[in-house]
Amino acid sequence: MQNHTLEPVWSQASQPVLALEPQGDSCRVLYQNAAALALCSGCESPLDVLPEEETRALADALRAGGGGGPFFCHIGNRVYAAQLMDWGGWHLCLLQDATAYYNANQAALNEAVMASQAKTSFLSEMSHDIRTPMGAIIGLTEIALSQKNVQPRVHECLTKIKVASGHMMSLLNEVLDMSRIESGRIILQPAPVSVADLLHEILIVAGPQADSASLSFHLEMGRVEEERILADSVRLKQVCLNLLSNAVKYTPSGGDVELFFAILPDAQPGWVRMAVRVKDNGIGMSPEFLRKLFTPFEREEKPTVNKIQGTGLGMTITKNLVEQMGGTIRVESETDKGSCFTIEIPFEAVPEDDSGAFAALEGRRVLLLDGDPKQGELVRQMLGSLHMKAGWAQDADNAVLMLNDADLAGAPYSALLTAEKLPGVEMMAFLSEIRKRMGEGFPILLLSGSDWSQTEYMFTQAGVDGFIPLPLFRSRLAAELCACLGPGRPKPGWEKEPAPPLDLSQKRLLLVEDNELNREIALELLGGSGVQMETAENGRQAIERFRDSEPFYYDMILMDIQMPVLNGLQATRAIRALEREDAKSVPIIAMTANAFVEDVQNSLEAGMDAHISKPLDMEKVFATMERFLGRDQK
Amino acid sequence: MKEYQRLYLENLQRIVALNDLADMPADGAAFLRQRREHTGLIREIVEENNAMLRRQLFPMLDDIASADEEEIRALEDFAAHLGAGGANQPDLVLHYSVRCALVSYARKWGKRDMLIQQLYWAGLALFYMQEIIDRCAKVRYRWKMGLLFGEAASYIKHYDEIEDPETRGYIHRSMGNLSLAYGGANREDAEKKLNAVRRSLHILNDPAFQAKTPELPWDKYIYVSHQERSSALNVLRAGISDPIVLGEVMASAQFVREYQEEDCRRRGAKPMVRWRMGYEAAQYHCGVQPLGDLLRWLEEAYMQRDESDYSEDGIYANISLPALYAQYIDQDGKYRLKKKEVLLHMYRQVAQYVRSAPEDQARGILTKYLLLFLESYVEYPDGILEKDFLLQLVVCRQPDAYVRFRLAAQITQLMAVHALESRPELLVGVLGCRDVQEVHRRGEEILQFAYDSGLLHDVGVLAFNDMLVKLGRSWLEEEREMYQYHVYAGEYLLGRSPSTRPYARAALEHHRYYDGSGGYPADYVPEEDAGQVITDMVQVAAYLAQATDEANPQNRHPLTVEQAVEQVRRGAGTRFSPEAAQLLDGLEDSLQAGRTVAYEDAFRILQKPVAP
Repeated sequence: MQNHTLEPVWSQASQPVLALEPQGDSCRVLYQNAAALALCSGCESPLDVLPEEETRALADALRAGGGGGPFFCHIGNRVYAAQLMDWGGWHLCLLQDATAYYNANQAALNEAVMASQAKTSFLSEMSHDIRTPMGAIIGLTEIALSQKNVQPRVHECLTKIKVASGHMMSLLNEVLDMSRIESGRIILQPAPVSVADLLHEILIVAGPQADSASLSFHLEMGRVEEERILADSVRLKQVCLNLLSNAVKYTPSGGDVELFFAILPDAQPGWVRMAVRVKDNGIGMSPEFLRKLFTPFEREEKPTVNKIQGTGLGMTITKNLVEQMGGTIRVESETDKGSCFTIEIPFEAVPEDDSGAFAALEGRRVLLLDGDPKQGELVRQMLGSLHMKAGWAQDADNAVLMLNDADLAGAPYSALLTAEKLPGVEMMAFLSEIRKRMGEGFPILLLSGSDWSQTEYMFTQAGVDGFIPLPLFRSRLAAELCACLGPGRPKPGWEKEPAPPLDLSQKRLLLVEDNELNREIALELLGGSGVQMETAENGRQAIERFRDSEPFYYDMILMDIQMPVLNGLQATRAIRALEREDAKSVPIIAMTANAFVEDVQNSLEAGMDAHISKPLDMEKVFATMERFLGRDQK
Repeated sequence: MKEYQRLYLENLQRIVALNDLADMPADGAAFLRQRREHTGLIREIVEENNAMLRRQLFPMLDDIASADEEEIRALEDFAAHLGAGGANQPDLVLHYSVRCALVSYARKWGKRDMLIQQLYWAGLALFYMQEIIDRCAKVRYRWKMGLLFGEAASYIKHYDEIEDPETRGYIHRSMGNLSLAYGGANREDAEKKLNAVRRSLHILNDPAFQAKTPELPWDKYIYVSHQERSSALNVLRAGISDPIVLGEVMASAQFVREYQEEDCRRRGAKPMVRWRMGYEAAQYHCGVQPLGDLLRWLEEAYMQRDESDYSEDGIYANISLPALYAQYIDQDGKYRLKKKEVLLHMYRQVAQYVRSAPEDQARGILTKYLLLFLESYVEYPDGILEKDFLLQLVVCRQPDAYVRFRLAAQITQLMAVHALESRPELLVGVLGCRDVQEVHRRGEEILQFAYDSGLLHDVGVLAFNDMLVKLGRSWLEEEREMYQYHVYAGEYLLGRSPSTRPYARAALEHHRYYDGSGGYPADYVPEEDAGQVITDMVQVAAYLAQATDEANPQNRHPLTVEQAVEQVRRGAGTRFSPEAAQLLDGLEDSLQAGRTVAYEDAFRILQKPVAP
């Protein structure tokens, strides 16, 4: 191993010298002097006898430009300190015998490790023992807070106890996790996981967190190659939620938190890679702190951080869990600009054969109405993967055009798949017109990221047949479309039972309407809600009924405006002027149609609370009733 | 028709007559008296109409499903009268409401023929409503129009089952009108428009359909479709260079020209310049003739116009030809300079033409053409400034409105004078003034700017002028929402030329609350503006002028100046800027006299020949 550059200088040196270059996890020896060769007997280089981890550490250090260390190399029964230096473009490794020093310090090191283990063990045991009574404190505080007539000062103290004990509990949990990680007691338990469920569960925690911190939370969905993976869902959720709750914690109100989520193809057949990116525009981290980010109990020392509760363990746990799953975690951050954490974890896919189940969708034409280009493209791709033909309109005008064109060309769309919101269009009114135009047999499905139960009644009344939750997954999309279009559908949307009306069975309503037919219609329409209805035929009768009833007997009055004997405005003024405790508060709703703007204004000025157009649009009636009867009137 | 329906229509005619300025009194004071008297009469008519509609029409619309056949027939007749006159119909929004009710009725009782016809008419009413909103660069009714025409057209699938030839005609007309749902403002939209025309023509030219219903006026339908295609010059301007499309537009322009010439020969009438223009422009856009030839043709056609012709074609020749001329020369820097004098001559002629317009005819159409004219206005620093043109135009079209503008201008200026004297620091930032010294140095300029801001803040109502002067009842919700777009119309009108641009912000914001908690436009978030104080003053002034306006029949309870000022003080910090509200202190007397002076001024300008 002659080298014309190194040989003249280093061949005679008494100190062992090697020229190395990193090669995977080990190093290739380019040159070694006689002193180095003398360290080993029966081998070509002292590196051949180095323990594997020491060779890897050397290779890593060489790749990093020679920093890090100190490196101790065990060669035979001696220990050498390795010093790395750059010499004329060569990576040199100079070895110096440090056996005595090493042995002396090793004893101290062992002691320190044992002390640390004892600390971890102690913390773990203590955390475990404290957790039980802490659970009781939290539970009892909740009970105390839920009591009526709690004095303000006591309520304030209880609230503080709740916050502090919650913090304490999370601290204990993290310490326990950390101790489990350090002692290698966390064992992942992979099982088939639905990616849709996993993401849904992450969102129902993260969304409200961001909301309550007044942050804008945005989800960007990437490609989802497979919807079932083999993973430890508990730990996976923990990782994602750690990143998200950190983003929420360290972003001032009004800021943005973005989550990107994708299941991407992997080079290894049968495997996929989960890619999660959490980005915020919060307080960010300094370059100095970034280096210590994953060290236990480290928190950046600055006033904005000190005000925020945290243990400094979250990121350590996250990194350990990600690595245990075989993944990687990267972070980019800048002070006052924000942070971006990216994790990629490989998972084995659990493929499902759904080709037969969705055969009925093949070749069917669906009109997609979505103004969001990314979301729309994703849905379009999914429809394509189901072998469906999709037209894509990005606004209401185009949707109408495409529906008309397809209809007039004799190839109408089989269904409309629509986003919940479109700029510049009131969706319920729009969908209701589409329902009229396309008839009852045309399925309209709504893509919605909000809580469907809150809007179901309204959208169903507007003509929507079904709901597909966002973020969208192919399996859910296909199942809903099959339900509407497939042969084995249990019941298509337009044959479904109407959404259950509001349960107003405990409420009593006075309907004041002179037209007998209109009274009958209103009684029939409103009857479905269970509300107890009484009627009056004119304003005078209404006043008498109200005056003769017990206070708070009626929960609401629906009042026609134009009536013989006494009109609705006069009756309202008279009711409001009565000397009884509910006269001012009982909600009085005007019922008019094709009214002038000033009529509506007059009814409000007369003391009415709201206005509903006739003929009664149940969507608006129930929305108004819910608005007023939601209040505890009695 | 029912008696109340007949009376309602008569009342609408009376209102138009009362708003007519044909019999102008001899002096300003008499003019003011006349306006007050007419307003009083209009208020009485409005009350009578409101009562009739409340008592008789609205209850029926509320319960249209229960109406008997005789009532429905009367309602159809009433709707036909309400919608007569195309864009100039007597009560557009009520017409639309009635048509919607008839659609509901037909749907409810499965009356297919009636449904097809009512869908068509409801769609057409929406088209005219959208035309008004177009002047505000807003789209509100297109999708719904598409649904209504689309549904009616979709009955082409059941053509053979429908026996009534008239209903079949409505199917064809609806199919043709689907092209109206597209503005053609951009390439994509233009392509949709052309596709709709192509599909309609394909069916209209199909001998099989013609043989099925020989009694339909096929030639007319085909002609109208060609008209629609040849008038869609913006389709070509949108950058479509597909040879098939160019060929189609050329063919349609040729068809319309020949049809017109033949028709005029038969009737001994003069061919309409509009369709000849369509032909010449199509020649240019399709590459048959250069721009210079088109401009030469425009000059010749303009010189041959009849300056006293206020028919729609006359208005087109007198107003739209210069507008098109401006539009074409503005595309080419060379012509913009070379043809400057020609254009300025045309503009002077347009001003004279508008000034001489008889008020008793074509009021709405003239306004519509003028707004289109302003869309391509080319402003030369030494020519007629768009600002001056607008002011002349406003006065010519609606003196009551001018009085309000004039009053707002006066109040804004008085507030600015007060600010200059007592709190000049408030004016720092206006017109780029950097400090109080500069404010004092440029005081006169600032006061003029304040005055002009007040004068121009509400020019957007021009787009609704026709709707307002014909309105014979209280507002319906739909109208109110449409009318709120006038702030966008103002911004759109003022935002184009250098002389008007500085006033666009006040136009957009004058109905918005100071703290953003109310008013409109609701979705507008203002950017920071160093000269915001003038907008704040205009907002106060606009309120005072509006709230005390006795000439507006919709203003049922005009306030006294003291009451209005009190309202401003109460709203300081929420609706109005506190600084602007404070500037009203001591101005009550000037405000009292303001309206009388403003009317006299309006009269003077009305009497004075235009000399822009």
